[in-house]
Amino acid sequence: MTIASKKTRLHHWHVSNGAKMAVFGGYSMPLWYSSAKNEHLAVLIRAGLFDTGHMAAITVEGPDAHDLLQNCFTKDLDACLGKIAAPIREGRCVYGAFLTPDGGVIDDSIVYKRSEGRYLVVVNAGMGADISAHLTAQRNSRNVTVTDMTDQLGKIDIQGPLAARILARILTDAHRVLDAMPYFSFKGSFDEKYPVSVAVRLKEGIPLLLSRTGYTGEFGFELFMAADRTSAVWNALFKAGEPLGLAACGLAARDSLRGGAVLPLSHQDIGPWPFINHPWPFALPFNAGGDGFTKSFIGDRALLNAGPPAYTLAFAGQDLRKVSIHDPAFAMDVSGTRIGDVLTCVTDMGIDRVNGQIVSVASPDKPREFKPRGLCCGFIKIDRMLPAGQKVRLKDNRRTIDVTIVDDIRPNRTARCKIEQML
Amino acid sequence: MTKEIKELNFPEDVRYTDDHEWAKKQGDVIKVGITDYAQDQLGDIVFAELPQVGDAFEKGAEFGTLESVKAVSELYLPVGGEVVTVNEEITDAPELVNNDPYGGGWMLTLKPSNAGEFDTLMDREAYIAKLKG
Repeated sequence: MTIASKKTRLHHWHVSNGAKMAVFGGYSMPLWYSSAKNEHLAVLIRAGLFDTGHMAAITVEGPDAHDLLQNCFTKDLDACLGKIAAPIREGRCVYGAFLTPDGGVIDDSIVYKRSEGRYLVVVNAGMGADISAHLTAQRNSRNVTVTDMTDQLGKIDIQGPLAARILARILTDAHRVLDAMPYFSFKGSFDEKYPVSVAVRLKEGIPLLLSRTGYTGEFGFELFMAADRTSAVWNALFKAGEPLGLAACGLAARDSLRGGAVLPLSHQDIGPWPFINHPWPFALPFNAGGDGFTKSFIGDRALLNAGPPAYTLAFAGQDLRKVSIHDPAFAMDVSGTRIGDVLTCVTDMGIDRVNGQIVSVASPDKPREFKPRGLCCGFIKIDRMLPAGQKVRLKDNRRTIDVTIVDDIRPNRTARCKIEQML
Repeated sequence: MTKEIKELNFPEDVRYTDDHEWAKKQGDVIKVGITDYAQDQLGDIVFAELPQVGDAFEKGAEFGTLESVKAVSELYLPVGGEVVTVNEEITDAPELVNNDPYGGGWMLTLKPSNAGEFDTLMDREAYIAKLKG
């Protein structure tokens, strides 16, 4: 039996604009339009528009919503904002994961606090039902309602240094909306009737939840709207952005951008193994000593008492050549002993090595006439901790490549830039 | 897929393989590349790994790889023989394979070891029929 893939509200636009389509997370999605490389570069130097309607959203509402999330979500909502670890507040969102009791990842997520007792949980494609069922199963006697909003909401991401300027062209009262919007904050609601302190609307009146987040490592926004408004929002963004070089982008560019930004792909870089010893410690509620957690949550004991150690580390290659994780590919130390597996291996098309150092098309100090050929990068999961700078060998059926363990990959990313500088 | 079969270019003067390579007779040598269908499926080609002049291969042998943004794909020889020339230009400008697969995006020429092998390859009509399944 074959199960037909789902279509997003923008399916017709993708097909009529020449997208190469593929099934991802149960949805037929664009891989690229005319060039994944140009789409990747557009996000680094101008802006890119992504249909992310395949992602799922769940509302968690009620007097005990906060308590349910504290029990199920890895981030400590009472101690998560800024250096002082302030509690989450209205208009802020945080990244974390939902774990099984043995510490494995069910899915990663961004949790939004919309108001007291009202949260929005955004998870990956096809995960709306699973995470809803998980939250409902953990509810017990708590007074909280869990609603899978997946088919009622549309989602579009606009990412890249020009994202705010493009949005400013189509938002009502744009300067008030875009004022003082730090990374991982949001304003507005997709729900016409929802009371918000700052409404976010397109000039034609469509209400939005506008979130300063994304999956590219670059400055930008994720926009949530009622599903039947998705095309109108997409068309308005595209029309406003096209003269500034905005490019519609597919999943290939999304994958290569997130790879260079050291962001994990759920069910590939994080999955049914203990969610610890990885490049995303900010997703866990470590105490000041780093030897325990500031709260208890499902999976916490398994993380602190994990069995044979496994370490997920980022790497960057010497040139653009990749290994194929489908072969599969494995990691070796320099003596040729197998030490683990390759989780992700992509080419970030916007970077290259110059005298050994990684330089991006967005680097202010890049050499004149810098034309990157791309650099292979990704994640390995190995049986030992290795410091940045350590050489590792990756091997698939075709080739062996030398890569270096790194703390970071693509330099000069814009995700955290001040919004005032981007307008 | 990106383009309909009818939007793709399949010249009359080359022969085609099941693996989406093409071969063209040029005097004593056979010129080899990948088809418009293959480049369209692969997407942006960012790197080509090609053999050395003088290397000899059997028909159907893997002679190199093409690396696109998403994947690494093997190249298979339409006919057996010895490599006479390799297109060095695509090492510096791999996008030639996307932009001009039958022209500037050619891969190599070979001296065929068995002249009869070329005649077993598909013509344009047979290849299009195969693509349409």
